[in-house]
Amino acid sequence: MARYLINRALQMVLVFNIFLVFSYLLFNAMPGNAFQNLLLNPSLPPDAYEKTLELYGLNEPLFERLKLYIINFYKGDFGYSYIYYPKSPVELIAERLPRTLMLFSIVNIFAFYTGFLVGKILAWRRGSKSETWITITSVFSYTVFYPWFALIMLWFFGLKLGWLPIGKFLYPEKWYDAPFDSDVVFVNMIWFTVIVSLVQFLVYVFTRNIESLSSRRNLRFTSFLIILITSYFYWNTGEALVRKPYAADIAFHMILPVFTVTLLAFAGTALLTRTTMMEVLKEDYILTARAKGLSQKRIRDRHAARTALLPVVTSFIFTIVTIIDGSVLTEQIFSWPGMGQLILQAVLREDIPTAMATFSFLGIFALVAHFLADVSYAYLDPRIRIKSQG
Amino acid sequence: MNENILSVKNLNMHYETISGNVSAVRNVSFDIKKGESFGLVGESGCGKTSVAMSLVQLQADNAVISEGSIKLDGKELIGLSESELRTVRWDGISIVFQGAMNAWNPVIKIGEQIREAIREHYPENTKAQNIEKITELFSMVGLDQNIMDRFPHELSGGMKQRAVIALALSCDPKLVIADEPTTALDVVIQDQILNEIKKVQDLLGLSLIYISHDIAVIAEMTTTMAVMYAGSIVEMGPTDEVFKNPKHAYTRLLLESTPSVVGDKKKLRSLDGEPPSLIGDIKGCTFSPRCPEPTDDCKNQTLEMKLIEISNGHFADICCVNCK
Amino acid sequence: MDNKNTKNEKNIRKEIRKASINKNWTLFKQSKLGVIGLGIVVFFAFLAILQPLLFLTGVWEESVYDPVVGYESEKVTLLVVKCPQEYPTEQYETKNDCPAKGEVNSVVIFNPSVKVGDYYETSLQPAPPSSKHILGTDSLGRDIFSQLMEGSQVAFILGLLSATVGVALSTILGSIAAFFGGRVDAYLMRQSDLVLMLPFLPLLFIISAFVELQVWHLAVVLGVLGGLGGSVITIKSAALQVKVKPFVDSARITGGSRMRILFSHILPNVAPLALLFMVFSVTGAIASESVLSFLGLLNIDMSWGLMIYLSQTDGYIFSGMKYWWLILPAGLSVTFLAGGFYLVGRGLDEVFNPRLRQR
Repeated sequence: MARYLINRALQMVLVFNIFLVFSYLLFNAMPGNAFQNLLLNPSLPPDAYEKTLELYGLNEPLFERLKLYIINFYKGDFGYSYIYYPKSPVELIAERLPRTLMLFSIVNIFAFYTGFLVGKILAWRRGSKSETWITITSVFSYTVFYPWFALIMLWFFGLKLGWLPIGKFLYPEKWYDAPFDSDVVFVNMIWFTVIVSLVQFLVYVFTRNIESLSSRRNLRFTSFLIILITSYFYWNTGEALVRKPYAADIAFHMILPVFTVTLLAFAGTALLTRTTMMEVLKEDYILTARAKGLSQKRIRDRHAARTALLPVVTSFIFTIVTIIDGSVLTEQIFSWPGMGQLILQAVLREDIPTAMATFSFLGIFALVAHFLADVSYAYLDPRIRIKSQG
Repeated sequence: MNENILSVKNLNMHYETISGNVSAVRNVSFDIKKGESFGLVGESGCGKTSVAMSLVQLQADNAVISEGSIKLDGKELIGLSESELRTVRWDGISIVFQGAMNAWNPVIKIGEQIREAIREHYPENTKAQNIEKITELFSMVGLDQNIMDRFPHELSGGMKQRAVIALALSCDPKLVIADEPTTALDVVIQDQILNEIKKVQDLLGLSLIYISHDIAVIAEMTTTMAVMYAGSIVEMGPTDEVFKNPKHAYTRLLLESTPSVVGDKKKLRSLDGEPPSLIGDIKGCTFSPRCPEPTDDCKNQTLEMKLIEISNGHFADICCVNCK
Repeated sequence: MDNKNTKNEKNIRKEIRKASINKNWTLFKQSKLGVIGLGIVVFFAFLAILQPLLFLTGVWEESVYDPVVGYESEKVTLLVVKCPQEYPTEQYETKNDCPAKGEVNSVVIFNPSVKVGDYYETSLQPAPPSSKHILGTDSLGRDIFSQLMEGSQVAFILGLLSATVGVALSTILGSIAAFFGGRVDAYLMRQSDLVLMLPFLPLLFIISAFVELQVWHLAVVLGVLGGLGGSVITIKSAALQVKVKPFVDSARITGGSRMRILFSHILPNVAPLALLFMVFSVTGAIASESVLSFLGLLNIDMSWGLMIYLSQTDGYIFSGMKYWWLILPAGLSVTFLAGGFYLVGRGLDEVFNPRLRQR
């Protein structure tokens, strides 16, 4: 077991380095550079362009720059952004990441939960009329042309009905007198969401072992109420109270993107769950469960869905990897200034330090997520778990 | 009034498939007394499992019970709603499945899977009570208590089988159906398991339906038996009787095709041909194509099939009663 | 004697193959999803073929109906009005009512000699659907229906090409990884990791900075990216399951070389899954192309994504239902064709995986 971990870790490090070098070369191979626009300015003194390049070290040979970058990278020095000078890429990421995370964590939680629910029910109702139509609808919501759909949603809810804002994540007018940055509020909101979800999850885990079904349900419901009440008090006292209107503003702007993306995202999980459940339903132990006289709901949830959970969780983890990649498009359309936009800008305008930093971030993320997916799969399936211990 | 724990009359069941209706169970009737062990024997595909499934109404989605009555301790089971059936399942009738290896959900511990069944029917029990009950059952079948905390794949085939028996007994059912419970096991384990079952049956006074294609096992385990062929019962009666005095041609051939350790060495007789297709309407004696001595009536398939009593409690198909 | 036997053998194999194809077709037909999906795919294929036919047989004149350079202008006379600042007025209820049908707002006319109350003749573009143009024309006077059909051609070519490339790649790599295991496996898994680490959209932006991406290029790029990524992992686990089956062992015992086992035994058994993947890849390819055209990254004459791109840059998307023929047909086509392929994949799934069938 330990040998496997070490081996894997070494491999990951190797791959990451290759990735670093490859990305750096790729960015530098792109025609032009970040400062070309200077040349468009006719009143620029003639040697200002060369001087700028020299300042940023862009006139040095590629190999030298590569070496320097890698050495600095491992020292923790990521340089300064070319476009947003003097901000460093780390600052930029720290600024933008919470915004993307907030949006997409909520989306993924909703989509995962709804998708699993729908898929579970679909597989259970196999062959009924409603099943076919709901499945087809799910398929089309999965394959719908995303930018087109997002624009239509924007038009409908934003323009036509005027209910929701058309873009951005806040109304600048409301924030003129704000005593703090939007980032502070974001971080606050993220912590809140994370803690609430964690508590809820822990409650679920700890009540699993309670024998009687009705008391289990009661406990969970009570804890949910407690969380609700605590949240209410939290947001209405002290520091949080001051932040509340701002948080509400952000939340309000989140509604449309979250709703739109969830509509698309849930379908993938639903369809995967449905397929897996359908396979599981043919297993013998489902027949045994029926013979035991268990209720339909219990068989569906406790036996079939539990086994179907494995591939769904794995796909969920992989989805998390693609959060930022997927956010590029969403953030463009909804003008949500998060990581996705950051990467896009960095790539388009050849802001090499930022581009490298974001790519590295994503790269590590992907490697770790893949590893976690492998591990969690082994954990969820006790057959593999025991084998690897023995 | 009723010493019959189970009373089946004129059970007819067919499967709806793309190729047509396959009549799997045709006019099956039998009664089982309390504490009796009833054997159902026949080759693969003769309908034994279909009968078993029908008893707990667990047949496949495309199976239809077109006719008949199943009475458990006087209560009619056909026509009950799903929720009423659920109370009967396991508590009234339980099954030890064929291929019990797969009867267990691989990601849930054994103990939990048994407690789940008990919880369904006795929700007021505490966890401790349930564990105690299971421990008792386990000791009856020769399993250690810590098996409860194991996952299915950690157990050997024999252990899993014993656990399945414990599972089947967990709600103190009135009737237990054992559907080829030892087919997948080696003979040594098979012997052990069969002994366990007998022991348990004596201990608890259970009524048992034992389904097998192995006639030797039926001989050992049952007091009454029925022979099935192509979906219907061709001979039925006390086990000793049927063995001593088989009337139906099929039964005879079945007995003669089993090798014996004692007695003279003799050539085994085997049966040519295959069971008939059960699609569509079926007339007359389905066994006649393979019967070694069919009469003209049998060959023309014009006989209406009925079971005739030969001696006390011993029934056989009409055609064979008339042969020889 | 030998020849006759092998000939017989070949005939028998042919019969078995035919019989199994028939059986699979019957099974496929049982799947409602698959049939609906197939219907949709066939419909769009029909559209794709229809266009060149219409041109060839002269039903459509190229100068008018060509999706890229066709032009037809319908002249229309409009009354020039000046839209008031505030509403409601006698004539108009809300801002949307002015200019009404048959009218044009004077601010959009740049001809100083035209005054309010004059009649102004102009070409109506984009034109709403009419008998001549079933789905109307776009802002350059090009027939939308023809564009739709052209887009269908692009979608099919691109989808099928990239899916084939991708699946061929991942099947071979996945099978090799499963079969040889050890270092080969580790290398291939890390390679997949590398591809997974790169963000898709930004990467394509970068590539399009190097090369002007045409349909063929894009198809290959999508295929390679898809084929080297996560699908290798999935195929590998499927191949692993085949590898442990007894017939592989018996093939090795009878002296089969590794290559032979790989190609004659493992690959055919992984093929159903690969076929499934291929169909789902088409879905992804169509979606990707549309997104990239929508972002203006592709050098394509005409595709569905491009149609939406044009509507957006011309500003028609937010006009809502007024110019619906510019917005809906293209978007719906992408949705439905991609969905159609997906449904076909589901139907195939039921054919190959008996546990998913209803009976």
